[in-house]
Amino acid sequence: MTKYLIRRFIQLVVVAFIISVLVFLLVHLLPGDPSVTILGPNDTAQNRTILLHQLGLNKPLWNQYTIWLTAVFHGNLGQSYLNHESVTHILATGAPIDIELIVLSQIVAFAVAIPLALVTSRRPNRPLDNVASTGTFGLLAMPPFVIAPIMVAVFAVGLHWFPATGYVPFTKDPAANLHDMVLPALAITAGSIAVYYRLLRSDLISTLQEDFITMARSKGLSNRRIMLRHAFRPSTFSLLAAAGVNIGALLAGTFIVEWLFAISGLGYSLVVSVQQRDYLVVQGISLVVAIAYVFLQFVVDFLFTVVDPRVIRE
Amino acid sequence: MASGNEISRRTFLSRGAVTGGAVVLGAAASTALAGCSTGNSGSSSSTTASGSKPGVGTGTPVRGGSLTVGTVAEIDGFYPPMNHWDTNGYLYANAVYDPLMAVGADGTIKPYLAQSISSNSTYDAWTMTLRPGVKFSDGSALTSAVVKANFDALRGSPLTGTALKQVASVTTPDAMTVVFTLTGPNPTFPAGLTSQVGYVVGEAMIQQASIPGTTPKPVGTGPFIFAEWQPNDHFTATRNPHYWRSGLPYLDQITFKPIPDTVQREATLKTGGVDMIESTDPGTINRFSGQSGYQLVDSRTGVIGEPTTGFIMLNTAVAPTNDLRIRQALAKGLDTAQIQKIFGGGFAKPVNGLFLPGSPYYSKTDYPTYDPAEAKALVNEYKAQHGTPTLQLITITDPRLAQLVQIVQQMWNQVGFDISVKTVQQASIITEFVTGSFQAATSYQFGTVNPDLNYVWWSTTTISPVGGIGLNFTRLDDPQIETAMLAGRAATDQQTRVASYQKVNQRLSQDLPYLWIEQYLFSEVAQNRVQNFNNVTLPDGSPGYSFNEGQFFPTQIWMAG
Repeated sequence: MTKYLIRRFIQLVVVAFIISVLVFLLVHLLPGDPSVTILGPNDTAQNRTILLHQLGLNKPLWNQYTIWLTAVFHGNLGQSYLNHESVTHILATGAPIDIELIVLSQIVAFAVAIPLALVTSRRPNRPLDNVASTGTFGLLAMPPFVIAPIMVAVFAVGLHWFPATGYVPFTKDPAANLHDMVLPALAITAGSIAVYYRLLRSDLISTLQEDFITMARSKGLSNRRIMLRHAFRPSTFSLLAAAGVNIGALLAGTFIVEWLFAISGLGYSLVVSVQQRDYLVVQGISLVVAIAYVFLQFVVDFLFTVVDPRVIRE
Repeated sequence: MASGNEISRRTFLSRGAVTGGAVVLGAAASTALAGCSTGNSGSSSSTTASGSKPGVGTGTPVRGGSLTVGTVAEIDGFYPPMNHWDTNGYLYANAVYDPLMAVGADGTIKPYLAQSISSNSTYDAWTMTLRPGVKFSDGSALTSAVVKANFDALRGSPLTGTALKQVASVTTPDAMTVVFTLTGPNPTFPAGLTSQVGYVVGEAMIQQASIPGTTPKPVGTGPFIFAEWQPNDHFTATRNPHYWRSGLPYLDQITFKPIPDTVQREATLKTGGVDMIESTDPGTINRFSGQSGYQLVDSRTGVIGEPTTGFIMLNTAVAPTNDLRIRQALAKGLDTAQIQKIFGGGFAKPVNGLFLPGSPYYSKTDYPTYDPAEAKALVNEYKAQHGTPTLQLITITDPRLAQLVQIVQQMWNQVGFDISVKTVQQASIITEFVTGSFQAATSYQFGTVNPDLNYVWWSTTTISPVGGIGLNFTRLDDPQIETAMLAGRAATDQQTRVASYQKVNQRLSQDLPYLWIEQYLFSEVAQNRVQNFNNVTLPDGSPGYSFNEGQFFPTQIWMAG
């Protein structure tokens, strides 16, 4: 297993290097003077000269890359030209929001999808299965920008159970934080529930037709034990792969929900920065999100080996 | 035309232009030459279910409490020489700073942080006396040296320097006196000091800003002191216990929260997440008119002077919009009546120039009417020489604007254009405007009492080549406009002024750098417990222009129990 993981880790490092080069080149691929790109058109000529000197923008490209990478390793990703906020600070305030949204939404998604799939896969095409399948089809068809306003109209404006917008950091007030995050998390949960449920259900149905399940039944094991101990684990391969991709997509991908609920997470910051051409912020967030995505896939690869050790041999 | 979502930032036309405009605008008239209101003088149209005047406090003011305001968009900073202030910028600024001058309810310009201002007989030198005993939030005193340092920074800035070209020098004969020497006569000079360039910051902030890459924290003399700003999340300021206006402010704290989506902003108000919201969506007026529990103030009437107007701006320095036939075809191909029917929410007022009927400056112009057949003929004429006119229309990220530009795109394609649409953020569109990197763009601008404050947008002296920084966004080079604007500025009699600005309006209707859509509507909705947000009193005790195109002063707001 160690050899497998080392191989995967080396791949991770190579991909991370390629990402860093591409992200670095982002500013240089744009037309015009990089100092105007970074500082915007309204800054003074003096500040442009200082910036060119600071970033070594008059040096060869490889030299600029090493300067930039060294700064990145020191936690210096530059700053927004619009409000001079450091990119590191934007990441430090935005990332916890995205992570919390993802964690909460995935907890709910797994908590709903797994038990539902375990129950319906035992008796496919029965009323409960049909209802669940139809329901999840419906959820798949409802994007967050549809679900969110409906939830706000019902649970915030109508019932006053939750706030319509806003965010309090968990460290400041955990109860208020969770209260604020319920609706945003639920808005992005729906799609995950549908995907996870449908994948797990079909894999479970397939697994339940395997010989080892027939053997378990013939031994007189309870349905509960068969489902949880024998059928579930080998059926989670697709689920894990989908979760890896889905969670990766949610990294900075919750823009619409953050926008609607006025939460300045990474997705919100990234999209706003793209629109405002705040390139250093785009560069910083892109780098961190891409590296996090690659690392997430590494973790998923590791989990594959736990679920099915044969992966290592293959 | 007002916008719906108002992204962030924010509505029918981009706030970009307003931001830039704010550099020199304000909304003011000179002391000598008062503006006039297009409706109820000094106050905006408004309704309340209880029948009392919305936003005007009743009973005894209550000290304490906090106010949270849901804003349309975030700002890019607090530093006047560097940042672009739109309505939101002024809302934030009015909390932590004070302007040197302010607009009275009757449109006259009154001293605020200044104690007095007077000119010489030729109106090319203005002497300002500062209010004594005023301290900044860091404890330093307001002196003429500080004001001079502010103007040095403003004049040295690529953003605001152009707007202050007329200021030849700023001198300080003594600690409390500032003399502005101008390059020519300007009887309306104090009006400019109600705008971004008139907001005075402490020297410590100027020093901070001189270090490249730093975010200067606001140091002001305002009723509140900067506490915290997390961009795109909130800005909070706390009561200034040493505020120079005795007994003010009433609130302990004020917080602004950008909520870009209009529906969500309104929902947040209804759920108590904020106490008050601003909007540029006419739908807000529709939804809150007469609704109990809320006070609505809007700019349907009561606008002093020139209203903020929504339009499509054309760059006269790049092809194909540098060809007058193309601009005429675009104007004749635009069915504004249809657009207002779809997007106006029943409230928008059509405009065909800078001024509304009722204004002394209003006059009929040669602005083209909708005529698709004539538009097609003009396009065909152009096509025969240069091929199909291809044009990119840029707008900001706003769902209603996205719909609007689609309809405009359809209308123009029908008369023979090949139109593409690009959507950008507000801050970006300003950059496109300033550098002239656009062909056609949605925008809104020009809300002011005194037309002279719009000089920089139309002057031949503020044109830069495409790629350079120029406040004449359309790059329209019309000497007749320049002459008329300068004549209006120097005029000491109303007749000459009126004639000058009518001339400007007429030239714009012939040059067609702007395709007018409609009056841009601002509104504020507050819960009933928010008192006195539409009833500002100036330091001299006279009533101020309380709802200045979406801006208000938080100094005299209190929360009812």
